[in-house]
Amino acid sequence: MKKTKAEFSREHLLYLKKQKRVSLVVQITRILLLVLLLGVWELLADLQIVNPFITSSPSRIVLTIGSLYVEGTLFYHVGVTLGETLAGFAIAVVAGYLIALLLWWSETLRRILEPYIVVLNSLPKIALGPLIIIWCGTGSKAIVAITVLIGIIIAILNMLSGFIATDKNKILLLQSMGAGKIQILQKLVIPSSLPTFISMLKINVGMAWIGSIMGEYIVSKAGLGYLIVYGGQVFKLDLVMAATVILCTLAGIMYFLVVLLEKLVVKNGRN
Amino acid sequence: MKNQILSFKDVTMIYHTAQGETAAVKDLNFYVQRGEFVAIIGPSGCGKTTILSLAAGLLNPSGGKISVADNVTFGYMLQKDELFPWRTIEKNILLPLEIKNTHTAENRKKALDLAIKYGLGDFLKSYPDQLSGGMRQRAALIRTLASDPTMLLLDEPFSALDYQTRLNVCDDVYNIIRSEKKTALLITHDISEAISVADRVLVLSKRPAHVVGEHVLHFDANTKPLQRREEKEFSGWFEMLWRQLNV
Ligand SMILES: Nc1ncnc2c1ncn2[C@@H]1O[C@H](COP(=O)(O)OP(=O)(O)OP(=O)(O)O)[C@@H](O)[C@H]1O
Ligand SMILES: [Mg+2]
Repeated sequence: MKKTKAEFSREHLLYLKKQKRVSLVVQITRILLLVLLLGVWELLADLQIVNPFITSSPSRIVLTIGSLYVEGTLFYHVGVTLGETLAGFAIAVVAGYLIALLLWWSETLRRILEPYIVVLNSLPKIALGPLIIIWCGTGSKAIVAITVLIGIIIAILNMLSGFIATDKNKILLLQSMGAGKIQILQKLVIPSSLPTFISMLKINVGMAWIGSIMGEYIVSKAGLGYLIVYGGQVFKLDLVMAATVILCTLAGIMYFLVVLLEKLVVKNGRN
Repeated sequence: MKNQILSFKDVTMIYHTAQGETAAVKDLNFYVQRGEFVAIIGPSGCGKTTILSLAAGLLNPSGGKISVADNVTFGYMLQKDELFPWRTIEKNILLPLEIKNTHTAENRKKALDLAIKYGLGDFLKSYPDQLSGGMRQRAALIRTLASDPTMLLLDEPFSALDYQTRLNVCDDVYNIIRSEKKTALLITHDISEAISVADRVLVLSKRPAHVVGEHVLHFDANTKPLQRREEKEFSGWFEMLWRQLNV
């Protein structure tokens, strides 16, 4: 029932035009701001007003990424971290979702486990790092485990509150149609919690990167987190900055993908 | 009586919670006959919704006996339309068939024909948020009718609508229920609504609910709810019910 352009009044067309102009200004300013920041940074470093050895500079970052690429280690490190992050993210999300379903299903189980979940939630997961290294070794497995640990509790708590918030009257309605618990789950609880699911994914994208990078800080021989730690230890700030920039880009892309998913599944706020 | 499709005999319902127990219904007796439109009015919180849940078998009574005639099925309609926002009107209407696993081509067609007959044809592919409040409530009624229930249980189905819409939707729903020849039990706290649709009105006491008055209304079978409000008996009934409700 969308109106075509011809049907709008002159006033509305003007309004749309103005809106368009405003958002154009916002976008241009955004880009200009980035260019300005990078420019000032570069200039300060080039003129030796700040010490580029400590602050690095945009051009040095680009060169560092270039040399990593030439050495052939760029995609290796990116791949390691990306793999760990995605694996940890997927496991945390899937397992968290399933556990939340189980807790929704059985109120008794929920009550039994509540204090444990609360404690686990407030525990800084990174404290378990040494234990995990002993249990999982010093490879990628340990890092994935840390990533899962950081994401899963949040996934459980978010989904559970989404499931529990299901409209009681709609449940009553389904029951009056003769629906059992599985049907209520399938027809109502899961679809109505879709927005919660998406917001949980958004939070967990961030958590997964925290998990994998923290994990690599504690124990690793490869990956972006490793490059950052290594770069810091040998005072190669260019390397630290380069890895950070790559990290920002990847995290941004992953978040953007979730937003894209949201646009696909949640149409006009009706899921 | 063989024509009774639903009857409550000395029914008692007590809710137990950690805070204590609440007697919602006590020694409740009433019946509904096939084809009848019965309205129940009662003060708020007296146990009206509980009575419908008991009738539909969603709750077990603490005492007494609820009898339902053979092969009687219920359709429930709630205060809000409770349409699922992520489903189209068509999918919403077909929901009971999905739940009951009676999703045959024939049943589908019957349900959709009903929707078309009552003016929802153009909205089948729309989502609930594209419909007005009155239209949504009509869609909710068609959804209730989709599984072809013998008896409708209506829990204040108009109270969430504004006054003007409410009068029209009430008329609307009444006509559909009548022309589909359904038995109906309507819960309301609106006296004039009860008088305008019912064959018989039951008045409930404060909680725990029991019947304190029963009135057979003698309106001509063809007068619509809006017309009933114009009849001269109307104010007489209103006054009597109002007094009984406020003892
Ligand atoms: N599941 C429940 N557990 C405990 N108490 C309940 C439950 N459902 C209802 N009650 C209590 O039983 C009493 C009757 O509730 P009910 O919903 O049947 O009343 P009602 O007449 O439909 O109220 P309203 O006018 O608000 O719709 C209320 O005091 C309510 O607090
Ligand atoms: Mg109620």
